[in-house]
Amino acid sequence: MIKVLDFFNYARSKSPWIVHFCSGCCSLEMLAAMGPRFDWERYGYIMTPTPRQADIMFITGLVSKKILPALLRTYAQMPEPRYVVALGACAYDGGPYNDSVSVIKNMTEVLPADVFVAGCPPRPEAIIAGLEDLKEKIKRGEPSASSQGGLWKQMKF
Amino acid sequence: MENIKKVLSQFETEYIEDYKSNYVKAKLKNADDLLKVIEALIAEGVKSCSTVSPTDFIEEDRMEVNYFLEDMKTHRNVWLKVDIPRELEKCEIDSITPLMPSADWHELESYSTFGVKFKGHPDLRYFLISTDYYGLYPFRKDFDYLEHEKKLIENIAEITNEYHDEYEEELEKADPNSSQTILNWGPTHPASGPIRLKVTADGEMVKKVDLDIGYVWRALEDLVTRKDFIGSIVAVERVCFMDNTNPMICYSQAVEEIAGKEITPFAKYMRVILGEVGRSASHLVSMGSFFGNMGLMTFMMWMLDIREAYLDVLDNYSGARIATACIEPGGVRYPLEDYKSFFASVRKALEKLKKHESEIDGIFMNNPLMTTRAKGAGVFTGDDMEKYYLCGPIARAIGEKVDVRLDEPYAGYGDLEMDYELCDGGDARDRLRMLHKELIQSANLIEQAMKKIEEGIEADEMNPQKDHLVKMPRKMPAGEAVSRVEWSRGEMLMHLVTMEKSTSPYRLKIKAPSVNHTLVLDPMLRGKTLSDTSLLYGSMFICQGDLDR
Repeated sequence: MIKVLDFFNYARSKSPWIVHFCSGCCSLEMLAAMGPRFDWERYGYIMTPTPRQADIMFITGLVSKKILPALLRTYAQMPEPRYVVALGACAYDGGPYNDSVSVIKNMTEVLPADVFVAGCPPRPEAIIAGLEDLKEKIKRGEPSASSQGGLWKQMKF
Repeated sequence: MENIKKVLSQFETEYIEDYKSNYVKAKLKNADDLLKVIEALIAEGVKSCSTVSPTDFIEEDRMEVNYFLEDMKTHRNVWLKVDIPRELEKCEIDSITPLMPSADWHELESYSTFGVKFKGHPDLRYFLISTDYYGLYPFRKDFDYLEHEKKLIENIAEITNEYHDEYEEELEKADPNSSQTILNWGPTHPASGPIRLKVTADGEMVKKVDLDIGYVWRALEDLVTRKDFIGSIVAVERVCFMDNTNPMICYSQAVEEIAGKEITPFAKYMRVILGEVGRSASHLVSMGSFFGNMGLMTFMMWMLDIREAYLDVLDNYSGARIATACIEPGGVRYPLEDYKSFFASVRKALEKLKKHESEIDGIFMNNPLMTTRAKGAGVFTGDDMEKYYLCGPIARAIGEKVDVRLDEPYAGYGDLEMDYELCDGGDARDRLRMLHKELIQSANLIEQAMKKIEEGIEADEMNPQKDHLVKMPRKMPAGEAVSRVEWSRGEMLMHLVTMEKSTSPYRLKIKAPSVNHTLVLDPMLRGKTLSDTSLLYGSMFICQGDLDR
């Protein structure tokens, strides 16, 4: 039985689908990673327009207060197991917008991320490397960080 | 210009003076005169409002409202100022929206952030800001943001609750027997980006579009007041990452004007090169997403491939692909240690574009399917341009001669040979073709600027290792400046106010073109079909970064 579940995790790690959701400027480097030079489809990643079919959601940089409910709802619509990748300095602590009145600085307290990718914005190579790290995590069958906790569980959206 | 002065001199003013070569700057004594002044200016031909920018002078206990008006046909500008009381109850002024519809959203924004009430505005409401700032006016100088930030978790919990309740309400209101539908287009739609178009449709026909913006509001105008003059470029370049060099040029020009510094010719031409590279990179994405919105991703991939070559230029110069921070007050940030290798990377990008030129033109620009779909869709006329202050490629696609690079030459553009690139249809297809024309024009301008630098170096007039930056004072004198650049999507205007011996901007108003281009979506989409929504939205080349700032 364990072996069968392992096989599922193995299969799942080979082609993670990513939901199309952008809340900040890092999405432009995501676009470049999708493009011909970096081409993340080589590694099996593909964008999907619907959250119902997605495995991974990106926090693309900053999250403003207004987009948070839309982001959480998109996340909630994804089937389990679902993973979160935080891109850029903004997702970690607000980055260059740390003094801004409208950007959430502690985004990963609200929705914990499995992988952080550093940079402002991170280069496409870094994004792909971050996703490769996540693949290992999926293969090991570890539960995602956001399913373990986070403020999002107490919110109604 | 004399006519405008004559019009203004009929009213009580504190001063009327010339500013730059194409501006009249005037301050009204009496706020009650405003509507009469605007009426008189409209009769003179000044029909469009670029932006409205209040400045909060807390020490002098007054709120100064700045109006930037333009006659777009003859490129005469009016900078109108008027003082109003600062106390919230008395902070009122007549709305100019009934006379100039282009001021609509700019007034709403001023109301939401500064609390200036516009009497007679057709729909005065809170706008852009998130609900926890309703009634608090976060850009006022006495707003305590650190205190507000302590309640962050409660605030975001409340915002998410409201979102949920709104959704439930909409569900209850929906009538299953009616043919009316409310479709939320965005913010999770792949083509939309973080904006919500609440489309009310009857069957297939669009009845009206409610635009919900503010999803990437970062309050950049407020953020820069907490940074120093050099540090502000980090905030300013993040207006939009698609073309991030031109906003930095705009901001740097404003700072240089207040400091009274002139940059070197080498830095001027470098600004042309970097600015045009930024513009090309942005146009490539915009062209790609135009086809992407119609459902064809191939062109997007082609365009991204060419864009990589342009990003290599920025990478070569600054070490970063997108967030370059490569232009700062006083010139450009880095010296060119080896100008030949830098120019080689630029030429490589231009050659790459040239190599694909015939394919782009033959397969996509003259594509019969695209022509059938986009020709005659979303047509604008010259009157629409003046009414809604459409600028940049949108205005030039109508055939109007609007281009800040020529109307008010900045950086090195005055010495280069260029002319207005125009189309005449004003429809979605012409807007796409406009971008393609500008891409070729940009390549031409880059070539010219590189030639000028090479000639300068050969004649020993320029030194690429030393000329890049002139020394700027650490502390600025008191003053204010207006700076405009032709950004990839249209005119960008920045209004900078500084205080005596200050180290950070006192007020920076950033006016970006997408605000007006989004405002016009509602009148444009009414009566069209639902499937036109994404095509026409894509044809306006809107970036949410500069829409919300």
